[in-house]
This record gives sequence, structure tokens and C-alpha cells, in this order.
Amino acid sequence: MQMEKDSMATVAADITDHHDDHGPAKGIGRWLFSTNHKDIGTMYLLFSLTMFFIGGAMAMVIRSELAVPGLQLVDPGFFNSMTTMHALIMVFGAVMPAFVGLANWMIPLMIGAPDMALPRMNNWSFWILPVAFGILLSTLLMPGGAPAGGWTMYPPLILQTGDAFPFLIFAVHLMGISSIMGAINVIVTIINMRAPDMSLLKMPMFVWTWLITAYLLIAVMPVLAGAVTMLLTDQFFGTSFFLAAGGGDPVMFQHIFWFFGHPEVYIMILPAFGVVSEIIPTFSRKPLFGHDSMVYAASSIAFLSFIVWAHHMFTVGMPLTGQLFFMFATMLIAVPTGVKVFNWVATMWRGSMTFETPMLFSLAFVFLFTIGGFSGVMLAITPADIQYHDTYFVVAHFHYVLVPGSVFAIMAAAYYWLPKWTGHMYNETLGKVHFWTSTIFVNMTFFPMHFLGLAGMPRRIPDYSTQFADFNAIASIGAIGFGLSQLIFVAVLLTAWKGSKATDRVWEGSHGLEWTVPSPAPYHTWETPPQARIANEAFD
Amino acid sequence: MDDATRKKNIRRTALVVGAIAVAFYVGFIMMGVLRS
Repeated sequence: MQMEKDSMATVAADITDHHDDHGPAKGIGRWLFSTNHKDIGTMYLLFSLTMFFIGGAMAMVIRSELAVPGLQLVDPGFFNSMTTMHALIMVFGAVMPAFVGLANWMIPLMIGAPDMALPRMNNWSFWILPVAFGILLSTLLMPGGAPAGGWTMYPPLILQTGDAFPFLIFAVHLMGISSIMGAINVIVTIINMRAPDMSLLKMPMFVWTWLITAYLLIAVMPVLAGAVTMLLTDQFFGTSFFLAAGGGDPVMFQHIFWFFGHPEVYIMILPAFGVVSEIIPTFSRKPLFGHDSMVYAASSIAFLSFIVWAHHMFTVGMPLTGQLFFMFATMLIAVPTGVKVFNWVATMWRGSMTFETPMLFSLAFVFLFTIGGFSGVMLAITPADIQYHDTYFVVAHFHYVLVPGSVFAIMAAAYYWLPKWTGHMYNETLGKVHFWTSTIFVNMTFFPMHFLGLAGMPRRIPDYSTQFADFNAIASIGAIGFGLSQLIFVAVLLTAWKGSKATDRVWEGSHGLEWTVPSPAPYHTWETPPQARIANEAFD
Repeated sequence: MDDATRKKNIRRTALVVGAIAVAFYVGFIMMGVLRS
């Protein structure tokens, strides 16, 4: 242990000495023209947080309107715009960029690379995003209003969008280009820039899950781009890809969309699995149980995600064999997911556990994501899905996967790596208050939605029958509480530089190359690849 | 691995992965063309 500490101290001193001569550029140019993975990672994370609050404000509009039966606050058309924009912003603006930001910050540090392999493309990947979301948000001010046909953009409904339509299509294309460029960068970096002797199976789980996610992105983002390109030509160039009147097939859009859409779910959850697989071993003070089986499980989930898309479309009508295939293939995903949950629990088993904020968020992830997983298995059952389809049960299901799933993992990651980024410990008390309020309110918001859905309340409506009033009131109070709780996270970030000085290792049980560099991580790291011995010590 | 080889590998990997992305984009549009 002492030898390990000495070697880490040597590495840390080496890095500090070596890089004193060239730091970041001064002024706005540092951010506009940055090719530094840490700066770009920071920009991604701040952009994601901004979008999280904008999308969250839209959720507040939705839940305020639904707090009591009847139409009281907003016009129904605007309500539909809010549901559509909330989803687009949270999926493409908040969750995905947050994980790309984490990847930018941490992958080079974790694999011993000096930067991402294609740093200038990295700059482009980020700066396309504010443009895309600027365009998307500007549609709120256009004649006909923002898109209101749902984030799934099904034709022919979406073709009724007003002036906003081409801007929506352009924004989606830009988001896709940004994601594809980011994914290319991740793959190229991991394949070509790992430390000497770091074989693929020695890579940390976060790096592994991101490699798999990047391949998913490469395969499915172009499919979404193709689908929306066809929508554009149907609207403006006289084609009939999806228009029944011209011999087209609107159901084909749904197939193409969900061929993208289902893997997209795993794009948002696989990096979360990676984050949790880093944090649980640290705070259990044990190595991750079944590292290699985690890799195979993540790969299996990625493969299966390509052959289950039509479970979103059971009510459209399909042959019995199709229903059976998509039902059983969907249920099969529970097996590798179960392997993962089992491994996290086995990692904790007889571990010397402590419950700092990152661990609390990770534990809540394991419990609450599993609830989302179980309701997913219920939805996979074709005859049951025909009842649940388009009800609040579905809303409850995917919000359990995405909020206490993906968002909690992002929060866990932020708390876990914040001391490495800032060089200071964050305020643990505030962190714990943030965790407990978030956890209580997230359940208060989304758990009653299961009951609403089972009782038949349809989704995407601004008004409802009075029999649904009580659970809706509870959900709305929970949502406002959850929204306000996130302000505590902002307070944590604003005070992040005031805490005690963080050590290089930060957490007693942490392992991996990222903990061998100083805190805060210097502007340039690993210009000389870590020696194989240090890399091995960090991973064994 | 020397720098030149690494740069060549990086360029090759990026081109292959980018080509896969373009193939998916064009492929799905072609599928739409053939079906409609």
C-alpha cells in the first residue's frame, strides 16, 4: 500500500511539474476554441444542467396544469408543446450531454490518455448543441407554436406542426450530428489511446459501458436522422414515405423511429450502469463483483436492444408471431439486467460500506431503477400492454428508469468526481439533504402514476376525469418538491470550491488511474502514458 | 506504438466508424424509398 501511495505521489508531482508552463487560454476564447477534454467536459455538464432546469420548468407547467381536474393555466395546444419539448430537451439536452460530459472528463483520465483522440471534432460536437437547442427553443415563439405532436414525431400528426416544423427537423439533425461525432471520438479514443498494458477487459466499467453506448449511438442516431429527413421530404418535397394518401405507410415511421428509440433508452442507461459500477465498489471497499460478467451483460443488453423495438407498437397490430417474438425478446433483457443488479448487491455483500452522497444516489439507483425494470417487464407482456398502452403506467415506468435511474446516476457521478474536478470536498450535509429530498419527492411524483395508469388515465392530456384527482394532486406536489430540491444541487456546486482540500485519491476505497492524478486534475494529464506498473496497481 | 502509427490508426478507426454511421443513414432512407 505504501509503495502504491509513493508511486502515485511521484506521478502526481511529475504531472504538476511538467505542466506548469502551459495552462488554459485566457478569456472567452478558452471556451469557444477549446480542444481540452476537461474544458469541453465542463461545458457539456453545465449545458446539461441548464437544459435540466429548462426541461424541468416545462415539467412544472405540465404538473401545475394537472394538479387539479379541469383546464386552468394553459391552453391545451401549449400543454402538448410542453410535453413534447420537455421530452426532447430532457432526452437530447439534459441526459445525453451529461453523460457525454462525464465521458469527456473521465475517459481520458481513466485510460491514461492525454486527451480525446479527435479534440477539434470534440469542440464541434459540443458547440453544435447550443445552436440546436437555441433553434428548438426558438420554436416556442413561432406562429403555430412549438412542436406539439410528441417527442416521437409520429406522422401524420407531426406534419400539422406550424412554422416550427423545419426548425424541429433541423434541430434534431444537429443533435444527431453532435451525438455521432461524440460517439466517434469516444470509440476512437478508447480503441487507440489506452495506457500500455491496459487490455480491454482491464478497462473500468464506466469506460466499457461508454464504448458500448458509443457503438449504439453510431448505429441508431443516423436512423433517427433518416426518419426525420423523410418527414421533411414528405412535408416539403412531395414524397409519400409516410403518407397513406400517396401510397406511403405511417406505421413504417413508427418502426424506424423505435429502431432508434429503444436503443436510445439504453444509450441513456448504460453509462449510468457504468457510473454505479464505479461508485458501489469504492464505498463498499471491495472490487466490483463479476467485472467480466458485467461487460458481457452490458453487451447483451446492447444487442437485445436492437431486436425489441416493436414492443412500443403492440397496439398498432402485428401478426401473432411478431407479438410473441417481441414479447419474449423484451423479457430476455431482464436476464443481463438481473446479472448487473445481482453483481452490485454482491459487491456490497460483506463490504465495509459507508454512505456518502454518491453512494446514497447509487443505492437509490439500484432500488428505484429496478422498479422501472419490473414495470418494464409488465409492459412487455403483449395482452397487458394493450391495456397499459398510452396510460400513465407507461409514464411512471419510463420516468422511474430515467429520473431515479439516469438522472440519479448523473448526480452520483457529479458528487463522486466533483472533488477531482474542483480540488475541494463538496458540502456533504447539503449533498445528503439534496439526496433525501430528491428521493422522497421523486417517488411522490412518479409512484402514484402507476395507479393512475392502471385506473385508465391516458397520457398527454391537459384535463382528466375527477376520479384521478387525488393521485394527480400528490404527483404535482411531489414534482414541485423535486424541482425545488434541485436548487440544493446548485447550492452544492456554488459552494464546491469552499470545502476542505481534496486529496489525490479523494475516497478511501477508490481505485483507478483517475485517482492517481492531483486534485484538481491539472489542465493537461497523461502527456506521457502511465507506466504499465502504475496502471496495473491502479486496477488490481 | 509510435506517434505516426497511432495517428494512422486513429484516422482509420474514425473513418470506419463514420462510414458505418453514413451507411445506416443512407440505408434506412433507401429502405424507405424501396418500400414506398
